[in-house]
Amino acid sequence: MLILSRKISESIVIDGRIHVKIVRVEGDVVKIGIEAPSDVPVHRQEVYEEIQRNNQQALVRPTSPLPKLLGAKQPASAPILKGIKP
Amino acid sequence: MAYPVLTRLGMKCNCIETEPAVAAASNVRLPMGLLGFEKLKDYLLIASPDEEPFGRLKAEGDASIAFVVLNPFLIVPDYQPDIPQADVEFLGLKDADEAMLLNIVTVHKTGQATMNLKGPIVINRNTGVGKQVVIANGAEYSVQHPLLVSEGAA
Repeated sequence: MLILSRKISESIVIDGRIHVKIVRVEGDVVKIGIEAPSDVPVHRQEVYEEIQRNNQQALVRPTSPLPKLLGAKQPASAPILKGIKP
Repeated sequence: MAYPVLTRLGMKCNCIETEPAVAAASNVRLPMGLLGFEKLKDYLLIASPDEEPFGRLKAEGDASIAFVVLNPFLIVPDYQPDIPQADVEFLGLKDADEAMLLNIVTVHKTGQATMNLKGPIVINRNTGVGKQVVIANGAEYSVQHPLLVSEGAA
């Protein structure tokens, strides 16, 4: 692992196109700003690993039959998706 | 009719015309792949009447990669995933109507089934382009939300 020390508002550049900036330090929390091309996914590691693990476990064989879902109800109104205007 | 099955999944029908008893299918493009499966970007969403309301998301060109998916609002009607603005822009979503969500379902060896509410696959139903989104309010939801299923196969 490459270990660099940075002061607040200093940056690191990766592969010439990914920029990581130390935005703020509050106690033991470091706020990090990342600029990356849209084809480069960036995630908090533990969240990424949890979802990746779940995806792995969810793989289904083509011949596997599925159980019957119980309790499904057709929603009464359009769902609300935070982040997108209704 | 196969179309109501796909509609229950939330897909606008840019579907392949099929006989009612046969599965309907639709192309889904995931430019970033799925988390842990970044290299696979082209999928087929298949809705079989005998599996409904589950769908299957199958990777084109790799038969070993397939996932069971479900419209989460059928089970959690008040699910309110907070989709980061960068993802809204990435998908070109102008309003909530254009978005369709498919959440990955795990059928466990015990026969129980759970659904991942932390990482929905959000699809622009007009373009067929989607992304597995890490929602900003993931702490409110489970990666293994329990589903009520009958014992044994459908």
